[in-house]
Amino acid sequence: MSLRGGCVSFGALAVAGALTICAAQDGPPRERPPRPSTRPIDEQAAPLKIAFISYANPQQVAKDSDAIAKYLEPYVGLRVKAFVTSDYGSSVEAMRTAQADLAFVDPLAFMMAHEQIGAKPLLLEVYAGGKPSYYSCIWVRKDAGIKDVAELKGRTIAFADQVDMSGHLLPRSIFVDRGLLPPDKLEGGFFKQVYFAGGDEQAIRAVVNGFVDAAGISQFAWLLLRPEEREQVTVLARSIDSPSHLVMARKGLPDEICGRIQAALRALDRDEPQDRALLGKLYGVEGYVEAKMGDFAEVAKIAARYGFVKKPEAFAAGKAP
Amino acid sequence: MKRTQLAAGRRLATRIIAGPLLLAWATVLLGAATAAAHIVPSEKLHPVAEAYRRATFILNLNPVVWEQVGPDVGTIAEHWRALDSAAAGEFVTELNGIIAEATRRGDEANGSAPLPRAVAARQVFERMTRGVATIGRELLRRAEQELGDRYEVESLLRAAQGVYGSFDDVLPAVDPQAYQRLGRCWLAMSSALGSEGLLGRGAAQVDRERFVREAREIVEYMDAHFGPQFASIEGRRLAPWPIHSPTFDRNAVLPARLPPGANTNKQLPRPRQILNMTARGVNESETALIALGDMAFDSPYIFGEPARALAISCNTCHNKSITNPQFVVPGLSARAGGMDVSNSFFAPHANNGHFNPLDIPDLRGIRFLAPYGRNGRLESLREFVRNVIVNEFNGPEPDPTLLDGMVAYMFEFDFLPNPYLNPDGSLSGKASAAARRGEEIFRRPFEQMAGMSCASCHIPSANFVDHKRHDIGSVRGASEHSKDGALDTPTLLGIRYTPPYFHDGSQPTLRAVNEWFNDVYTLGLSEQELADLTSYVETVGDGVDAYENTVHTLEAELEEFSFFLSAFEFLEQQGKRDLIDATCQTIALEIRAHKWDLQDYAHMPVLDRLAELMDQAYAANQNGAQEEVRALVREYRETYRKHAEALK
Repeated sequence: MSLRGGCVSFGALAVAGALTICAAQDGPPRERPPRPSTRPIDEQAAPLKIAFISYANPQQVAKDSDAIAKYLEPYVGLRVKAFVTSDYGSSVEAMRTAQADLAFVDPLAFMMAHEQIGAKPLLLEVYAGGKPSYYSCIWVRKDAGIKDVAELKGRTIAFADQVDMSGHLLPRSIFVDRGLLPPDKLEGGFFKQVYFAGGDEQAIRAVVNGFVDAAGISQFAWLLLRPEEREQVTVLARSIDSPSHLVMARKGLPDEICGRIQAALRALDRDEPQDRALLGKLYGVEGYVEAKMGDFAEVAKIAARYGFVKKPEAFAAGKAP
Repeated sequence: MKRTQLAAGRRLATRIIAGPLLLAWATVLLGAATAAAHIVPSEKLHPVAEAYRRATFILNLNPVVWEQVGPDVGTIAEHWRALDSAAAGEFVTELNGIIAEATRRGDEANGSAPLPRAVAARQVFERMTRGVATIGRELLRRAEQELGDRYEVESLLRAAQGVYGSFDDVLPAVDPQAYQRLGRCWLAMSSALGSEGLLGRGAAQVDRERFVREAREIVEYMDAHFGPQFASIEGRRLAPWPIHSPTFDRNAVLPARLPPGANTNKQLPRPRQILNMTARGVNESETALIALGDMAFDSPYIFGEPARALAISCNTCHNKSITNPQFVVPGLSARAGGMDVSNSFFAPHANNGHFNPLDIPDLRGIRFLAPYGRNGRLESLREFVRNVIVNEFNGPEPDPTLLDGMVAYMFEFDFLPNPYLNPDGSLSGKASAAARRGEEIFRRPFEQMAGMSCASCHIPSANFVDHKRHDIGSVRGASEHSKDGALDTPTLLGIRYTPPYFHDGSQPTLRAVNEWFNDVYTLGLSEQELADLTSYVETVGDGVDAYENTVHTLEAELEEFSFFLSAFEFLEQQGKRDLIDATCQTIALEIRAHKWDLQDYAHMPVLDRLAELMDQAYAANQNGAQEEVRALVREYRETYRKHAEALK
């Protein structure tokens, strides 16, 4: 989602909308691994530092992140320190300068962090409906009479932000795959005008208000509209699935610690009230599944078209992080 | 992109202050927590836009509730002060002066009258409009100056857009071409900011020339139409009419809107409604008149404009027959849970010209509670309902069958069962000792009350009413010796769930009510006696399961819509096509209002189809195609029956 206009919690949005059509049946089976054994906290060791991202209310995120830190401490056996950043870039920079061991990021930030500083994927967020993925859509007004993306030639479109996976690169790929836009340049020759609205809400409101003909943004964007406004927009096309937002670890974080973090977070069960409360503090996600490099294979190819990722083959299935 | 945490922190602070986008996200996140999408959060506006729109709404009313305008003037001034403290100071001084002139008492001896309402309202509105345009202009000017600082300019841009949002409820209707053009200007400015990129990749430079060009276009429009020369149109509603715009549509009608801060959402969890027939196990499919009344109670289509466009129905204020304590409309309400029902907004023809908001009454047990109206002015519920429709909400003269239905439905509203009361209204053995002591005080005659007790009017064996009107001194009279303060005795049953109290909602708690009587009538009750009396009244006003135990209401709502439709054959036999219209429209509207509550959106197409069937039935009914209407109603019933299990 938009870096400039603010990052977005897909988890909470998905809960708000009970996810989109057909998602409920597609999720993986809800098997929760047991929690790892606890261990005494080594007060002498350096604490584990986690960068949380602020989606809406930094003070609340700071409070929530402390609760998560407390939950993790006995499973990791280390003191856990949480801090809040305003965007993914800051989280990656914190990891680059050894100020963060773990960070909550989106797929694009992870892939770039992997290439630049060797970050490893640990856990994918699972959204309401049980899917560790999302997609982007091309939204148009229902009354516009537009039935195919090809009909957008010579019309206007709003994306969220230039450097944004769900708010630009993924929806752009819909046009690229149809041969309507060049695969390797961020240009908009097909359209009369391309706007970067600054966020999903601005982009979808631009459609509702008739400022633009279409918006290329997240599948969840319509949930930002008021109910009567939602009736006015429809999905013209959807992108491939992208892996969901994730927890990544810095290069060199011991495998044992990574494994314990994975197990502790994967063990959270949304049917248990205490766990559900913790998941609510983790951006409202439904749970976590283990992340693999291969999850990013397809989106890495898209990011590589525009130079955000240099070696997409590093994300092929079976590759070690 | 090389960032420090310090820089990140600074950006964070900027966004907290300026981010309408983030506010919007927060709204959605909040929505997620409620798990009830039919609860529509209030529109998130920049504080200046919110203050301007609310004040404009209030300034259009007769009377103007000036004490509610003052804070909004203050909000605008506060945001202006950060940009130009001298101008903000002049603004607030001038407007407060106008308000003071409008609200001062006239002096007949000197022949000096207060500034007429309409004149004062116009002056305040015009000055406020010019002020808001100035704030927006200044923010954009500063944004241009800060183009070297991406985060600062973003903050200023969002703030400017938020301030110009003051006019967003008017421009789309009266100057749509300009609105679209300006909308694209905002998008172009956002685009011109380029991108900082991510981790050193994807950066795009700021397009300074484009940003300035687009900003100027917005400023030019705002200055030309809402700048120093701005004046409202004589004889028309106060609104930011861009009268000099070549694309201004002079014949445009502004859509009905409630002001920011209004809340017409229903309660959640829902109050538990007890219909006598349901409690007795009656087959609902054979109670057509009651079904018609239920539909009408939930229908904005029995009202006129603007209630109809705003989807206001009886059920909005009397949610499931119970007081909606959160209902509020600035300018019409003094506090949540009440409204001046003889106002110039909903039914100008019946406006009484003075601000007299009334606490929304609880309708439980209403068949036992005649006369009706806070001052008991109407003996008949039927006449009272007609008055609400015609004279409070501007509706057409109701069909007699419709009134029959509404009265039949409302006569089914039962009180909450209360295990602490015996049938004769005395306390049962389950009541506490404190309540029992309070009962003695309740029944104790006081000389200070002309030898009467609380129970003299709130007769326990008569559902705690005496069907009379009394002036207890809670109403401020029109003049020193006027006799216009008598009010109908309200029941105490269920009262625990209907704060605030008194006809105007001026007493927040039952304890406060008892203190009021103790003070005004110098009853001399001790602290212990006040506590006991309060315990008694709370016990009388208690009830079992006052609220439903779930926030998922869709299933129950859909069942109710089917109940509405059970009146169809009766209405057809009676030839009541208008009422069939209202039934179809109401069901379609209600489905669309509640469809977002669906827990699994996979079934959304079914709800869309049900609403569509009612749209089609309405259209067919309008065309007199009765066979088609019958077929569509049949399809609705079959579709609902087939999918009912999944629609939760």
